[in-house]
Amino acid sequence: MNSLSTYLIISALLFSLGLLGILQRRNLIGMLISVELLLNAANLNFMAYNRFLAPDPVVGQVITLFVMGLAAAEAAIGLSIILALYRKMHSINIEAAQKMKG
Amino acid sequence: MGAIFRDPVLFATVLGANLPFFTMAVILIFTRHNPRLSSQLSVGSIAVSAVCAISLLAKLFFAPALQYQTLWFVSGKLNIVFGYYLDPLSLLMLTIVGIIACLVQIYSLGYMAGDPGYSRYYAFQSLFAWAMMNMVIAGSMLQLFIFWEMVGLASYFLIGFYYEKWSASQAGKKAFVMNRVGDVGFFLGLILLLLGFGNLGIPELNHAASTHGLSQGLLTASALLIFCGVIGKSAQFPLLTWLPDAMEGPTPVSALLHSATMVAAGVYMFSRIFPFFSGSHDAMQFALVIGTVTMLLSSSMAMVTYDLKQVWAYSTVSQLGYMVMALASGGYFAGVFHLTTHAGFKALLFLCSGIFIHEFHTNDMRIIGKQGGRKLKIPMVCITVGALALAGVFPFSGFFSKEAILSVLAAQPNKIWFAAGLFGAVLTAYYSFRLIFHILLPMGGIEEKHHHDDHGGSSHEHEEEHHGYIFWAMAIPVMILAGVSLVLGFAEHPLEHFIMRSVNVPGELAAHGGAALQTVAHVAAEGAGHAHESGSPMLLILGVSAGLLGIFVAWLEYGRKGASRKGFLSHVPAIWKLFDLRWFMDVFYRKGLDTFMYAGLTSLFTLNDRRIIDGGIDGICIFTEGSGRLFSFLQSGMLQFNLLLMVLCAGAAVLYFVI
Amino acid sequence: METSGLNTILQFAFWVTVALTVAGAAIAVFPRNILYNVLGLALALTGIAGFYLFLGSLFVALMQLLIYVGAICIAIVFAIMLSRPLHISAPPRPPVKMWLSILASAVFFVGVVSVALKTKWQCAAGHVYKASQWSVENIGNALLTRYELVFEVISLVLLVAIIGAVITAGYSRRISS
Repeated sequence: MNSLSTYLIISALLFSLGLLGILQRRNLIGMLISVELLLNAANLNFMAYNRFLAPDPVVGQVITLFVMGLAAAEAAIGLSIILALYRKMHSINIEAAQKMKG
Repeated sequence: MGAIFRDPVLFATVLGANLPFFTMAVILIFTRHNPRLSSQLSVGSIAVSAVCAISLLAKLFFAPALQYQTLWFVSGKLNIVFGYYLDPLSLLMLTIVGIIACLVQIYSLGYMAGDPGYSRYYAFQSLFAWAMMNMVIAGSMLQLFIFWEMVGLASYFLIGFYYEKWSASQAGKKAFVMNRVGDVGFFLGLILLLLGFGNLGIPELNHAASTHGLSQGLLTASALLIFCGVIGKSAQFPLLTWLPDAMEGPTPVSALLHSATMVAAGVYMFSRIFPFFSGSHDAMQFALVIGTVTMLLSSSMAMVTYDLKQVWAYSTVSQLGYMVMALASGGYFAGVFHLTTHAGFKALLFLCSGIFIHEFHTNDMRIIGKQGGRKLKIPMVCITVGALALAGVFPFSGFFSKEAILSVLAAQPNKIWFAAGLFGAVLTAYYSFRLIFHILLPMGGIEEKHHHDDHGGSSHEHEEEHHGYIFWAMAIPVMILAGVSLVLGFAEHPLEHFIMRSVNVPGELAAHGGAALQTVAHVAAEGAGHAHESGSPMLLILGVSAGLLGIFVAWLEYGRKGASRKGFLSHVPAIWKLFDLRWFMDVFYRKGLDTFMYAGLTSLFTLNDRRIIDGGIDGICIFTEGSGRLFSFLQSGMLQFNLLLMVLCAGAAVLYFVI
Repeated sequence: METSGLNTILQFAFWVTVALTVAGAAIAVFPRNILYNVLGLALALTGIAGFYLFLGSLFVALMQLLIYVGAICIAIVFAIMLSRPLHISAPPRPPVKMWLSILASAVFFVGVVSVALKTKWQCAAGHVYKASQWSVENIGNALLTRYELVFEVISLVLLVAIIGAVITAGYSRRISS
């Protein structure tokens, strides 16, 4: 329980699940949820390193807080974009959003 | 810079040679729209140049050759210097150029009055004078070549001065292109010298050639190549057809072009490095052949044309041929002296013709004669003086120089050159007096001319006054030149001493021996030992009688009462046509251009342009577009696919580094 | 031994948290009903807040609950309700894509885990673990002294993001209507 690698593996698992979601979900909101998972996996890593390795225990927590702030911003912007897209295309399917295709 | 102001000689040189350039710049930039001011500026500056040149000549008359030079740039082991070389030859030529250019510009005040391109004309005249003066006093062959090209450029501007006229612009182009052909040879020769000898300074070249500092092969090759430049510039045999066409320019331009500047440049360059040329016997022989052929060909052409200016143009070519002959057979002084006298009387002839042309608005000598050309007393007298000088009749300057040339030719071992020279003298006298008689004694008398009556009317008085100004602006230079033609011949002795003083080279040559060079040295020494005295009275008689014979034949056919006024050549239409069409040289060139240039090279270039250059650009376009299309497949719009690839690659990289 | 008993309970609780988190993450990813995904996300985020507690940071755990579970999840639910009606069934997932994604994630997982296991983690020189250093005061001090600039920038980013979100959602409505 109190070992770094346990946390690292858990966070890697979360990250991979998020990755899987991003890669295969076509629902934009589903992708956004997966992105939140990714961010949280990263946060967990920060906290674990902070707990087990860092000289100054404050740094990791501060970074985690910053990431949370950024995640909030990202969620707000992402969701508004999704809403705008939905109004425009009447779909939130990522595969439908191919207007910029080369 | 300070040295320029401290040394009066250098100051005069720099000022005199470069003032016209600044005048040109000022005219082109500031006073373009003020023709009066432009012309005054130009005439003023060329007068200053002429005064500088004369004072230089006077000051340095008894001084040794002066050389000013400064290092221009260094390239490897080569030191290219920029400088002035003032020896008797360049001083004499500088003076000639200055005076003739000055007179021509004064003359142009009248001739060009009211022309829309008046300012432009004076700007180009100044440019021309500047280029020629700098060419004359150039200290190295490279510098000479640069100004040589400037002279070509300026003459292009002036020949094509009436650029709105198709034939004029064509003539300018022709002159330019034909000069280029010769200049390529010239430039190659210079490169060869630079590679083989490593120094292009004129005194150094002359010295090296006369002291066997150069190998015979290099000397001959480079001399032949450099002679190509002379052929182009002085309109010698294969490249002579540009000069008659150059008559498309204004007449004063022709005068300047034919007497002192453009075409004289070639002969001047020949005499400038005369010791160098005379080091190569083969090159001299080649030049002699070219000069003779040119002289005879162009004389024959002059015999059939009715165009006033064309006659003088052909005669210029033939006189240049004379000079080349003289120089090539070793008569250094004879060539230079003929160049000097010719500059005087040819300018005179052209300027007189210009008055006629200006008055009667035609170039045809028959029409001028019919409309009363002889009523214009001053130009009529002057043109006769010029023609007498050209024909080589006694008190006139042409007589002395022609005698000098003939005596040099007579000293050649092969008498054929002498015979050709005599024959050329007959022809010269014939065609020049053919023209004189045409104007002086027109067939069927003088018609009443209506021309000026039409122009009369209310503004008649004013026009007369204006006309007077124009006439005198043209007449005064003409009279001066006529006077010069009268007296210049008697200045032969002092000039000879002056010129020959610098050329101690032939003496050196003789001292160094060399079988091929012996003749040259011998002839030159003989020339130095005075033509008239060493040449027998026989020679004198022959020369004079050749001229008189020509005049007599001309009188028989054109002058005497009831003469047919057709010329003996009209009995043989084929020859007439041959002469009239310039021995089919232009036809030949045109054919050559058509078959070789247009059908051959041009089509190749067109093909190259269409297929390779255009095709290459098209290919680049197609390639760019295709590759763009190719890569646009990656921009599939499938976000997740992109992401998938990215993750796969990143994961693979991680695995690769860890495992 | 009371401490060992407590340890066992803690151990048990830890693994329960792990199970909940992973299950939540799986629910967040796999089901096709988007509402289940959000609930699974909320579960996983709560589990992560639990990890933060195990790691000794009460404050961050609270923040996690507040921001993520409280705010973001609710926002996502709102977005779901504003966008597509839930009863419209989505087209089936293409299997190739599915398997490729699984492969990529697996490769990534194996890579990262092997890195984590292979590396010899070493404590930094001055590392001490003291509960007193994890206090809120320390974090507040750090935020307002050493990281103040970052803090300000983050605030600015949040402000801009809010305005941007309002404009994106609002204007697009006006344009489309």
